[in-house]
Amino acid sequence: MSEIILEVKRLKKYFDTPKGQLHAVDDINFSIEKGKTLGLVGESGCGKSTTGRVILRLLEATGGEVIYKGRNVHEISNKEMRELRKEMQIIFQDPFSSLDPRMTVSEIIEEPIKLNKIIVNKEERFKRVLELMDLVGLSRRLINVYPHELDGGRRQRIGIARALSLNTEFIVCDEPVSALDVSIQAQILNLLDELQEKLGLTFIFITHDLSVVNHFSDDIAVMYLGKLVEKASAEELFENPIHPYTKALLSAIPRPTLDRKVEKIILKGEITSPINPKKVCRFADRCNFAEDICRNTEPHLEEVAPDHFVSCHIFKA
Amino acid sequence: MKDTILDIKDLNIHFFTEDGIVEAVNGLNINIKKGETLGLVGETGAGKTTTALSILDLVPMPPGKIISGEITLDGIDIINASEKEMEKIRGKIVSMIFQDPMTALNPVIKVIDQISEAIIIHQNLDKEKAEEKAIEMLELVGIPRDRRNEYPHQFSGGMKQRVIIAIALSCSPKLLIADEPTTALDVTIQAQVLKLMKELKDKFEMSMIMITHDLGVVVEVCDYVAIMYAGRIVEQGTLEDIFRRTKHPYTEGLFNSIPNIDNRKEKLKPIKGLMSDPYDLPKGCNFCDRCDYVMRICEEEAPEKIFFSDEHFVECHLYSKDKSYNLSDHDL
Amino acid sequence: MAEEIKTVNIKNKNEVAKRSLMADTWRRLKKSKTAILGLMLIVMFLCMAIFAPIIGDYDEDALKMNIIDRLQGPSINHWFGTDEFGRDIFIRIVYGTRISLFVGLISVSIALSIGGFFGAIAGYYGGQIDHIIMRILDVILAIPVILLAITIVAALGPSMLNLMIAIGVANIPGFARVVRAAVLSVKDEEFIEAAKAIGAKDHIIILKHVLPNSMAPIIVYATLKVATAIMATASLSFIGLGVQPPTPEWGSMLSSGRAYIRDQMHIVLFPGLAIVLSVLSLNLIGDGLRDALDPKLK
Repeated sequence: MSEIILEVKRLKKYFDTPKGQLHAVDDINFSIEKGKTLGLVGESGCGKSTTGRVILRLLEATGGEVIYKGRNVHEISNKEMRELRKEMQIIFQDPFSSLDPRMTVSEIIEEPIKLNKIIVNKEERFKRVLELMDLVGLSRRLINVYPHELDGGRRQRIGIARALSLNTEFIVCDEPVSALDVSIQAQILNLLDELQEKLGLTFIFITHDLSVVNHFSDDIAVMYLGKLVEKASAEELFENPIHPYTKALLSAIPRPTLDRKVEKIILKGEITSPINPKKVCRFADRCNFAEDICRNTEPHLEEVAPDHFVSCHIFKA
Repeated sequence: MKDTILDIKDLNIHFFTEDGIVEAVNGLNINIKKGETLGLVGETGAGKTTTALSILDLVPMPPGKIISGEITLDGIDIINASEKEMEKIRGKIVSMIFQDPMTALNPVIKVIDQISEAIIIHQNLDKEKAEEKAIEMLELVGIPRDRRNEYPHQFSGGMKQRVIIAIALSCSPKLLIADEPTTALDVTIQAQVLKLMKELKDKFEMSMIMITHDLGVVVEVCDYVAIMYAGRIVEQGTLEDIFRRTKHPYTEGLFNSIPNIDNRKEKLKPIKGLMSDPYDLPKGCNFCDRCDYVMRICEEEAPEKIFFSDEHFVECHLYSKDKSYNLSDHDL
Repeated sequence: MAEEIKTVNIKNKNEVAKRSLMADTWRRLKKSKTAILGLMLIVMFLCMAIFAPIIGDYDEDALKMNIIDRLQGPSINHWFGTDEFGRDIFIRIVYGTRISLFVGLISVSIALSIGGFFGAIAGYYGGQIDHIIMRILDVILAIPVILLAITIVAALGPSMLNLMIAIGVANIPGFARVVRAAVLSVKDEEFIEAAKAIGAKDHIIILKHVLPNSMAPIIVYATLKVATAIMATASLSFIGLGVQPPTPEWGSMLSSGRAYIRDQMHIVLFPGLAIVLSVLSLNLIGDGLRDALDPKLK
């Protein structure tokens, strides 16, 4: 049982919009052990990306706590935060827009080291850049190339090298393979797997693609409209999904096989926007099993099986 | 014997750009009969969209150029058709749904008008009757009629895609080309839209080309599958052929790259290397520099088509001597 | 077998040459014939300005009056003829180039640095800061450039320095707007977020990431503004509020030559032509740059 490296408590992030207050992340709780991967899953608008950014304080939290190695990330000074950033990094979804188009590959990877004055000597810094490129599988010949000359897979490797350039221990991966071709996705996933083993990294893996997250995560948390609806180990979630949304999500994934056709649960309606939400179950209007209690009171996350949490009035086990 | 709706023979399309010549489509053959759905599977740069656009004569020329080949749609020679003739064909005989629903609709025109536009052009109905028909289409795709006067930005992604489907089907085309129609949508919405497309396809007895990179989507909707790589169809067959009797190493590679949702322990086996540079394709087989089964001949000669049945063929040297070769026979 | 054959190296053109964005822009700019024409003209003017002392002596040829030679038409001795004081018009135009270009460049630099600074702050931070800065600048923007310049010069007195200040200040709001818009277009890009994530401070982000990536519209705007600055210089000098005679300046040459326009047209023709060509050349370059820098036209 390793130590808990990150704890998120009652985390909230609200945005003020002309139409009202948008509850992007509403009262999220989870923790991650060192060296493990938590998959954060959900569709667009569920708040997973926002959660990732709030954890890294790229966005300020509206409420709650993000405790990294015992310190609340949102209560420390800007200077202390910059120190912490050496350990907490992010890999972005879009390999095309997350790299400065005016910098070469080596300049991009070198920047964090240079900025934070980790290695002041120019030659030594360059050596470290080459090491990092080797680590992520980027050919050394690419040092002076610009991102726009490379394909998505290579660009993503640059992003990963950049994220690793400091003393990184914890990485938020925001849909790191969604924008890549299938065969390249597999390469990058394998790379992340290797790196996690080699360097003992802890990941939060944010994605909408359940098949990817199954492959890669130890635990999975499912989000819907800013709320956590189910949380369990990856194995448990796939074998025994309890929340109706999780079940629908799982059944909706197109399976590339002719065997065992799974009956698709088709949800009615669309995902709505969480503006000024009422204190009811946010999934009720799409749920095929909703009853009155769902439309009147808000459910809470409860442990319905060992280490398996669900937020639902109807389905408890 | 069912009618053939689309017959493409030996199509070659090249793009002449500043940086060189892109051999986008090479030696393509497609035959689709009435009511059949063909899945065109491949990754970025495989040439699927270019193929689709050529059926509608929408490939930008320059820089594109149809070097050779024939495209016959419902008996009409597309390559030699004039622009005026094409205008009568697009929307009426063949329709296309593009990938990104967010940008495919005109933001300043009401959705009902966008649907009626197609009807008015092709069916010579007056505005009122066209609008009635358009409302029918809206309801057919699951959008309540009282939302007909709204603008695209008032709809979500999934609903926009439904509007686009309504426009595409408004004149009952014989062939629908859907270019990654659900890639930009959430998984639960994707399920809704695919179900809708299947229902409408049956209802209208349409043929369909479903362009996708997702083999899971293929299983949902398609009868036949063509796997494209670097502008060529490297394997084609029925669903059974492709899924149960996979022949081409690239097809096998695609299956191995996908995380298996039912077996999480399996390590992913990505295809090594990168998509071939379309400016500089290898001399022999386009896939040789990434293939686990590569032999000397693969670098020298382009493979011939080898048929296993009427519908199932592959372009690969592995089978030229021995048709019963099994991919799993190979020791890696 | 696969082991016998060495894995065919993944050929990749990308791994060979480094193609910087500037080289790319130059390549695209070269394609526009009008831009090349503009470039050639502006180079000609630059040469005139730089090599003026070699072409003719300032005091002897440009300033010294020679009443005997007055009002002569173009000839071998005097390519553009002489003016009402017998001074060689060609030499005066050459020296006038220095003034026009100098005032143009300096005034734009003033406007770019001050306006750009406020525009960048307003664009990057947004909110109240944005509102305050932009509303103050709106007040200045409401006054027509020429009118504002006239007012400043009238208050400070006519001289080349005050001319530069006047035109510079009048252009500050325009530059603030352009830079603000450019910053807005880039600041929400993910690579900016990435810079924050690795611990970069705000000023580093603005200088190193935001501005270099939003240069394109600013460069185009600046080029066009040098043209208008040249126009403004000529206009103000024309009405006597700019460079004072006898200093050769295209606008004041136009002004003093007005009386002779009927019979000795050359006195106003050539200065006028100089103004037109210099402004035109900069506009052509600006348009060419706008197209060359447009990522969508690649």
